[in-house]
Amino acid sequence: MLRKNYNIWIGLGLITFMGSLSLISLFYTPFDPHAMHMDARFLKPSATFLLGTDQFGRDILSRIMAGGRIAFLISLLAVIFGSLVGFLLGSIAGLGKGFIGQIIMRFIDGLMAFPGILLALMLVTILGRGQHSVVIAIGVFNIPIFARLVYGLILGNENKLYLKAAESFGASKIYILFKHMVPAILPRFMTQFSSSVGVAILTESSLSFLGLGVQPPNPSWGIMLSEASQYIMTNYYLPIVPGLAIMLTVLGFNLLGDGINDMLVKRGSEL
Amino acid sequence: MLNFLLRRSISSLIVILTVTVITFFILNWLPGDPALLILGLEANPEQLESLRETLGFYQPWYQQYFSWLINLTKGDWGQSMVFGEEVLTLVIQRLPVSLSLTFFSVFIALAISFTLGIWSAIKKNSWIDLFSRSVMQLGMAIPSFWIALILMIIFGAWLKVLPTSDFVHPSEGFLPFLKSILLPSLALALAEVGVLIRIVRSSMLTALNEDYMEMVAIRGLPNHIKYVKYALRDALVAPITVLGVQLAKLIAGTVVIESVFALPGIGRLLLVAVEHRDIILLQGLIIFITVFIVLVNLLMDIIYSYIDPRIKLDKEAGI
Repeated sequence: MLRKNYNIWIGLGLITFMGSLSLISLFYTPFDPHAMHMDARFLKPSATFLLGTDQFGRDILSRIMAGGRIAFLISLLAVIFGSLVGFLLGSIAGLGKGFIGQIIMRFIDGLMAFPGILLALMLVTILGRGQHSVVIAIGVFNIPIFARLVYGLILGNENKLYLKAAESFGASKIYILFKHMVPAILPRFMTQFSSSVGVAILTESSLSFLGLGVQPPNPSWGIMLSEASQYIMTNYYLPIVPGLAIMLTVLGFNLLGDGINDMLVKRGSEL
Repeated sequence: MLNFLLRRSISSLIVILTVTVITFFILNWLPGDPALLILGLEANPEQLESLRETLGFYQPWYQQYFSWLINLTKGDWGQSMVFGEEVLTLVIQRLPVSLSLTFFSVFIALAISFTLGIWSAIKKNSWIDLFSRSVMQLGMAIPSFWIALILMIIFGAWLKVLPTSDFVHPSEGFLPFLKSILLPSLALALAEVGVLIRIVRSSMLTALNEDYMEMVAIRGLPNHIKYVKYALRDALVAPITVLGVQLAKLIAGTVVIESVFALPGIGRLLLVAVEHRDIILLQGLIIFITVFIVLVNLLMDIIYSYIDPRIKLDKEAGI
């Protein structure tokens, strides 16, 4: 069954490829990502510069590798932060119900009403530009998504017989949450986590593109595209590679999410 | 029906109120002195003090919030620090650009996604299905500003047929205006097409698998009646309901697209507000955009409860 699930394999493949490029950049890049070669500006791919050079003669491959590290780090941290807080709020509202649950879910509805990037822009304004703000901003707009997911799943599962049984044995709510609810929620949670990381990478690159995220000279993919946009009328090649890097990584996480989802749907229909 | 309308309006109102609370508290109560944020580090203490006074810095928080909220409803949105003009005036000036951008991109996105979505559902597993599914996955993975740059290269630099910046106001001629807004709309639309194709395709597939479709086939009705009159009608509800959510994403997308193409719209204004930390302008814009989206969603729900009574019944039953 898993063998035929192409989405998972292509997704994992893309993530592994882009992820290892980023990991390798910790120890090795072909050139220093910041080193300028003024005699080698705007070069097309060649044996020396495998993916060419940018407007300052910096090696594009090295910058893509180092930029990947930033993209992965920011997105993963942000989604981990957002999903944990979301899980906490969603499970308090789902298990606790009552007044507090209502307040939490109304607050979540309010957060959900903001288009993601708007919330991010608002937080960046207050916290100042830079990587930390981007992590918090993307994390915060993930909170309502995960809170709603967990809340919905808890309400959907709570009438299951085995949970009633656990309750009648006098199991506490916390015990039921971690022993029974978490395993039931986990697969859907993972699907959402994967596509959220994809969206987070897109958002990080958008914010950096707008000059509000990662700050130059750090090699973020969004910054590379923003710099390339100043030369596109004469240099068509410059925006190609950073855009492809974003696309392949996001595609990887989206396909992985879809793949996990397909697996669940199939398993569900077999039961 | 009245019951549904009332309940739906009240819940929208609650969302709007929550939005104002969240916006107000994030922008006014996170670390930092609003007066210092607005005037910058060069300001002298007297200026800071007088601004704190006008901003109501020393009033209790609930008094600040409520006086701000009451002013909002009265149309007094305060004055932008950067432009020195009323926020509401600025919004009204810039609105037509963003609205036309959003309108054209919704139009393009719907045209593309319905064509590909329906076609690929009917011819499932054919080359067209494969093509649509590729467009769908790529559409969701490609950042809008990259599409914008690629379109600029193709139509602006290679073919030299469309302008890549310089917005033309409709009053200076409709055709030049259309030309100046076409590339931005296309870029924005292509970035949203992915999600829409997926929804159209899957709801069309569900509709085609319904039992009554077998009846339609048995009756030997021609294909166009089969697909348009029976399947499409049923498949239409899901995409249109999602359109409200997509609208929110489109409006958020205008921030990036207007910045790439240097269009003088709301999105660009928002970016200026963020760059200069113009809190009053930012506050006004965020409230304006979010309330706009909530109201459009409310409108969509109401329209659809007329068209499809099942929605109303579900909502009344609390599902």
